[in-house]
Amino acid sequence: MTRASNLRMGWGMLAAVAAAGLIAAPMAARAADEPQISKSERELRSSYDKDIKGKTIAWVPIALGAPITDIWTAVMQEEAEARGMKFLLRDPNWDATAELQAVSALISEKPDILVVHNPSLTLLAKELKRAEEAGIHVIQMNMESNYLSDGFVGADWGQIGRMMGEETIKACGSGTKTSHKVQIVQGELTAAGNVNTVAGLMQALDKDKEIKVVSSQAANWDPKKALDITATVIQQHPDLCASIGIWGVMETGASQAIKNAGKLEQVKIITNGEGSAFDCQQLKEGMYTKYLSYHSDRQAHDVIDEASVLLQGKMKPGTVHVALYTVPEWLDKASADKPGACFELPNLKKPETAAKQ
Amino acid sequence: MVRGMATEASTTPATARVVWRRYLAKPTQEQIVLLVTLALIIGFSVALPGFATVANLLNLAKSVSILGILGLGMAIVVIARGLDLSQVAIMAVSLGIALTLMTNGVSTPVALLAVLVLALAIGAINGLIIAFIEVPALFATLATTFVAFGLGRLVLRTLFIYAPPTATGLFFIGQGRILGIPTPIVIFAAAALIVHWMLSRTSLGRFLYAHGDNPEAARLTGVAVRPLAVIQYMLSALLAWVAGIVFTGSTASMNLQIIYSTAIFDTILVVVLGGVSLIGGRGGVLSIIAGTALIGTLLNGFTIMDVNSEVQNIIKGVVLLAAILLDNRLHPRDDETARQGD
Repeated sequence: MTRASNLRMGWGMLAAVAAAGLIAAPMAARAADEPQISKSERELRSSYDKDIKGKTIAWVPIALGAPITDIWTAVMQEEAEARGMKFLLRDPNWDATAELQAVSALISEKPDILVVHNPSLTLLAKELKRAEEAGIHVIQMNMESNYLSDGFVGADWGQIGRMMGEETIKACGSGTKTSHKVQIVQGELTAAGNVNTVAGLMQALDKDKEIKVVSSQAANWDPKKALDITATVIQQHPDLCASIGIWGVMETGASQAIKNAGKLEQVKIITNGEGSAFDCQQLKEGMYTKYLSYHSDRQAHDVIDEASVLLQGKMKPGTVHVALYTVPEWLDKASADKPGACFELPNLKKPETAAKQ
Repeated sequence: MVRGMATEASTTPATARVVWRRYLAKPTQEQIVLLVTLALIIGFSVALPGFATVANLLNLAKSVSILGILGLGMAIVVIARGLDLSQVAIMAVSLGIALTLMTNGVSTPVALLAVLVLALAIGAINGLIIAFIEVPALFATLATTFVAFGLGRLVLRTLFIYAPPTATGLFFIGQGRILGIPTPIVIFAAAALIVHWMLSRTSLGRFLYAHGDNPEAARLTGVAVRPLAVIQYMLSALLAWVAGIVFTGSTASMNLQIIYSTAIFDTILVVVLGGVSLIGGRGGVLSIIAGTALIGTLLNGFTIMDVNSEVQNIIKGVVLLAAILLDNRLHPRDDETARQGD
């Protein structure tokens, strides 16, 4: 090869490389500008979508229409649909038999997650076991049954009872200059929530020998019954120190009776509940003195989170026990005003899969 | 005949004694119940300090006023040999709607009158179904209960409805006092007087008793039995509305849950207990007052004694059973005129 031809080849190659570079450079530059989602993120998202999207979550409360079940339903539906899940709802309307039938029917429809609100410890226990054997994850909401399923979200009733008892002792116990007389307004004697709360409450109250429980009657969750009972109690014991209610909405009847007797300043009203805007209003008006909220809007959010974990963890139903106990928060007149203390009652839109019975 | 007239006209001691013996020999159920109530009151006054005070007795009367007003409505229907199981549903749904209207700015009297129309309409529907379609009262009113509850839930969305703080007139009815007596008691007394006047002094009352005693005979002698049925259920609905006003006045709320509670059975208990026989044709306002007094005394005594609620329910059940058995013995079922569903 002559020196001239080598030079020509060299320049030619250089030109070719430069040309190639000039053509490729903008393309490379464009490629370098276009951001790519990282591979790990794409993998995670795709595995999440595979596990969650299109999965069915079924919810059976005891009844719709109370603030607690309405907020649970509204939040669960919103969050489930935002994640691409299908949301099924059945409303048994306080009928225990209808609830049992609804759960049995849902098991044959094979949802991926079944969320239930137990009216008693025993009613649904066998069906829940059958559901998990059929491959459905079961999450129990706020009131448990005798069967421990994969998930539980709710308040620890014994703890709630104990906390109310300790607060009562602070207000009416041996150190105070009061009559030490307290009244307990129970809900329904056989309900899971009632039994455990009263047990915790009595455990705490028994620690102070000065406290006298002058009345412990069941008002069956009815504010009118609570009013009638309390009207008699306050009339018999005008020096009553505290009235402890197992559910806020029911306890408003008792507060009304105490207000009618003109003793609202004297009697401490201690109760608990889901923490709706109504309850904060009662605190501000002085109808409750101290309110232990278990933030039901957050509980519903916890259920969807737990469902998400159970589905992505690909755990076999019936092999784990994941409990998400709600941390209860004391509210009083001052703290009722702070933002987020209570949830607004949901403006109920009809769920797409409405109650079929 | 002359001798008979002479015996009636003269009031010799012998005649008077005969009359008294006949009177006491077969006591009416009202008398038995009033005696039992009196015995309970004396017993509780002795055993429970704080029972026999004016304040407690007023409390006792106040707590059963609503039951009493409902009982008056039920009595009107039962005397005519009917039954109205939809009373509590009418009360709860109509007042629930009234409270919602009031919260949305409608004035209290307008809201209450609007739902009075609704209540009377439901009562009229009850009467029309029973009179024209001839469905037994038990089934017709049971069906109306479910329909009313469903409509109520559809319209109201929540179970607990609260009165706005501006409904001061309503609160006076439930929580106020007239001349020192709580207003609910005054309203019960007024309703009792009006119903008593209607039952004993008007032809409508006579027709109700006639229909209860022997419906066929009533129809044949020209009593307009079908319009009568419609009117009696409308009256029952009217009294349910009145009871509802007292209810919402005293609790400042309405609770739809009571429709499925034992409230309606408590009303039947008061009616049967007092002596308004389920086969119709007997009893009156005094029966309702007697029944209400007994139930009120029992409940008040139990609350003061802090008796377990389940035990209270058992005792109420036993009392109802005893009343029905007594009713059966004193007024056996008249098979000639009994109808299906009695």
